[in-house]
Amino acid sequence: MSERLTDEATVDQALSTLRSLGVATGEVFLRDAHSGSVEIKDGAIESVIARGERAIGIRVLEEQRLGFAYTSDLGAGGIRACAEAARRMSLVTEPDPDLALATRPIDDVDLDIFQQGTADRPLDERAAAALAVEDAARAVDPRVQGFRKTTYSDSESITMIATTTGIRGSYRESYCGAMTSAVAKQNGERQIGYHGEAGRRPTELDPARVGRRAAERAVEKLGARPLATQKLPVVLDPWMAMDLLRAIGPLFSADNVLKRRSLFADKVGERVANERITIVDDGRRPRGLRSAPFDGEGVATTTRTLIERGTLRGYLTSLKTARKMKVDATGNARRGGYGSPSRIAASNLYVAAGTDDADAVVRALDRALAVTSLLNLHTVDPVSGEFSLGATGNYLERGARVHPAQGITIAGNLTDLLNAVVGVGADLVFGPGGLGSPTLVISELSIGGA
Amino acid sequence: MTHEPSVSARDAEHALRTALSRGGEWAEVFWERHETLQLVLDDNRVEDAIGGVDQGAGIRVTTGERTTYANGNVADADDLIALAGRAARGVLDGGELHEAGPPEPDELPRHSTVAIDPRTVAVERKVGLLRRANDVARALDARVQQVTVSYGESVQEVVVANSEGLLRTDTRVRLNLAVHAVAKEGDVLESGFEAIRGTAGFEMLTDEAVEEAARSAARRAVLNVGAEPAPAGTYTVVLSSEAGGTLIHESVGHGLEADLNLKGLSVYSGRIGQKVASELITVVDDGTDPDRRGTAAMDDEGTPTSRTVLIENGVLRTYLSDRKHAAKLGIERSGNGRRESFRYLPICRMTNTMIAPGAADPGEILSSVKDGIFVKKMGGGQVDVVSGNFAFEITECYRIREGKLAEPLRGATLVGQGPKLMSEIDMVGTDLGYSTGTCGKDGQGAPVADAQPTIRIPSVVVGGKVG
Repeated sequence: MSERLTDEATVDQALSTLRSLGVATGEVFLRDAHSGSVEIKDGAIESVIARGERAIGIRVLEEQRLGFAYTSDLGAGGIRACAEAARRMSLVTEPDPDLALATRPIDDVDLDIFQQGTADRPLDERAAAALAVEDAARAVDPRVQGFRKTTYSDSESITMIATTTGIRGSYRESYCGAMTSAVAKQNGERQIGYHGEAGRRPTELDPARVGRRAAERAVEKLGARPLATQKLPVVLDPWMAMDLLRAIGPLFSADNVLKRRSLFADKVGERVANERITIVDDGRRPRGLRSAPFDGEGVATTTRTLIERGTLRGYLTSLKTARKMKVDATGNARRGGYGSPSRIAASNLYVAAGTDDADAVVRALDRALAVTSLLNLHTVDPVSGEFSLGATGNYLERGARVHPAQGITIAGNLTDLLNAVVGVGADLVFGPGGLGSPTLVISELSIGGA
Repeated sequence: MTHEPSVSARDAEHALRTALSRGGEWAEVFWERHETLQLVLDDNRVEDAIGGVDQGAGIRVTTGERTTYANGNVADADDLIALAGRAARGVLDGGELHEAGPPEPDELPRHSTVAIDPRTVAVERKVGLLRRANDVARALDARVQQVTVSYGESVQEVVVANSEGLLRTDTRVRLNLAVHAVAKEGDVLESGFEAIRGTAGFEMLTDEAVEEAARSAARRAVLNVGAEPAPAGTYTVVLSSEAGGTLIHESVGHGLEADLNLKGLSVYSGRIGQKVASELITVVDDGTDPDRRGTAAMDDEGTPTSRTVLIENGVLRTYLSDRKHAAKLGIERSGNGRRESFRYLPICRMTNTMIAPGAADPGEILSSVKDGIFVKKMGGGQVDVVSGNFAFEITECYRIREGKLAEPLRGATLVGQGPKLMSEIDMVGTDLGYSTGTCGKDGQGAPVADAQPTIRIPSVVVGGKVG
């Protein structure tokens, strides 16, 4: 087997390769991860997966042109080929005076995002977590009679970044998660309910809660029928609200704003949402699923209030877009992996808890739709803000469920939706992807149906 | 970048023997080298140029009902054997030892032509295509405010070997040129999108094709800023063949994947031989359709791709299978065990899926509708396979009045239930149009194409604005 360098030495070798090629400024990003997952079926283990990943991405900035290449071949030849490719790529792109690599040292901060051994749990512990999900789901209701897929997974990874300009940082993180799709049956009708949760360590994950919630989601849809086409107030529980919040995230990207692709362009200081709405992006939330000390460019992460009581306060930026806007970089140039370039994205994005008793707000409504699942969320257009989605829900009268509904659509515009929030619960919950939200009550959305 | 030799028959055999050294009945090596190039022109500037190579392998061992899979980046044969050892250590209660037979390599027919390997084309030529598309899209209309053009090149070399002696290779050359335009009028911003994608060489990206894609994207963005919001309600809908096949992919295709049917969870479970659609409907999945985005010589388990008739004149014939589910369901392997990369186990997936053309004249289908909606282009979709409920996005549509196209509409979605919709379709045209995309399932992406003729749906829910 060829000699293996440590992660530190690999990064050093890549930096010295860049210098030996005469590259003016360059950056090396390394990810070294291992993970495991277990899928169960009929009470027994169906598959066990062990995964390893170790590779680098190199960025070269020469004459204000940026080139990027990545490789999983970490021998001397592979690193050199990658550095050369990054440089060749820099010749293709156009110069931009605002391009820059990180220059500020990264501060030392403990975000409580790592527990050693999370990805080295014995197989029987992992399997037990997955089995606990299904046991809890079955215990909810005898009509829960199967599962589409139930998995438990965990991982540990090291992320390193170093530049020829002397910036260097690294952090470790761990993760574990469980998810299932429970199937409920009644009189030939079948309904599915999905739920997944994750944490930074096993003690933060409650598999039984995952199973219970998936089962409840499946059972509550049984007997669903269409609704007439109409306008109705809509209730989004925290999990459904997070789904829509994920679609709102790109509106805050400075890149989208600068390129006129965001409805929030030129709106700083203006009212863009109901005054009940405060939205925060916290890159350093302790134990947050998207917390990290620095972003994909080696810039320290920050906490930003993006919308404060309905008023837009600012955007999420990278080094380049911050320079164009003449503001400080927020540390939101996020990198999906060693092979992905940085893209501006939210970290732990959440709607701050409100003071409303969500149940009381709903009881005060003559009629409402409480959404229980949304189909086609990936088609929400971040440019126009328009959405038109498949939905299931519970039709409510004065807060009491009349019947479940399916085969319907909900449609609107993200900015109209933010303005139409008439209730914000105190029940803030954080979910997968670092997103968080309390229950939101929307005064009115278009429901398409029979 | 330097090119390492792929896995030799000797290395594969060594890895398979190692994988089975602590028990297990069957083992497989999946090795992959994936070279990519991505170029993005945005805001009139070439912003991203990214080249990369990812090389790795996954070793699978099955023991009774259990599968053990170890995967990771591998640089050489030693890494591969080490990975096989890791898989073997994961096999608990492996039972009696089984021997891996010596590999017997064979060549499969290729269904894609690669006259020009994109890796041999200068990057400047590719950048030239991006600029051309950008210029054409911007020149179409003053309301076009922003254009993003991306070029994606993917060359995936695959080796599959298993303990039954199979040893097969495939090279998938896939290209993608996508244009996204944003138009603005007053306060309204709208997008338009068009892409050219296929499993073929650089020759597919002719100047004419690239310009046409750019015009389509820009025209759609401009059309949508001037369009009325779609009215929510139940309508008669004509889906043009130009709309592409998202409908068949979402409403039927996923429900015919064998894994869900083995679990008895699909709306089509246990219904082979039964009528599940209007007799006008024949559904085919064809991984051999030349040069299409979902085409390959074999799936990611080494099974040759095939043309599979799933529904024939309304009657369910079979499911889309991988090795495991074909065996369990007692159906023929269809060559649909696909994986995103060496990091994943294969799962049952579509390749190129279509509703076969019928007998109706497309023009007559349109003129048969007094009041309805004409869908000219579909976007993304999603299905809940257990209930059969699906939703898909419409990116270009018009009102039909008295059998003729009237005003354009924007922001519409179609929702329905797969089997119900398929039993209600009452006209199927003689034409056929394709669309392409990346299908997501269980966290894995797969390149696919879908196709359909012009069809009429008498009554379906259209999502949009009320009042």
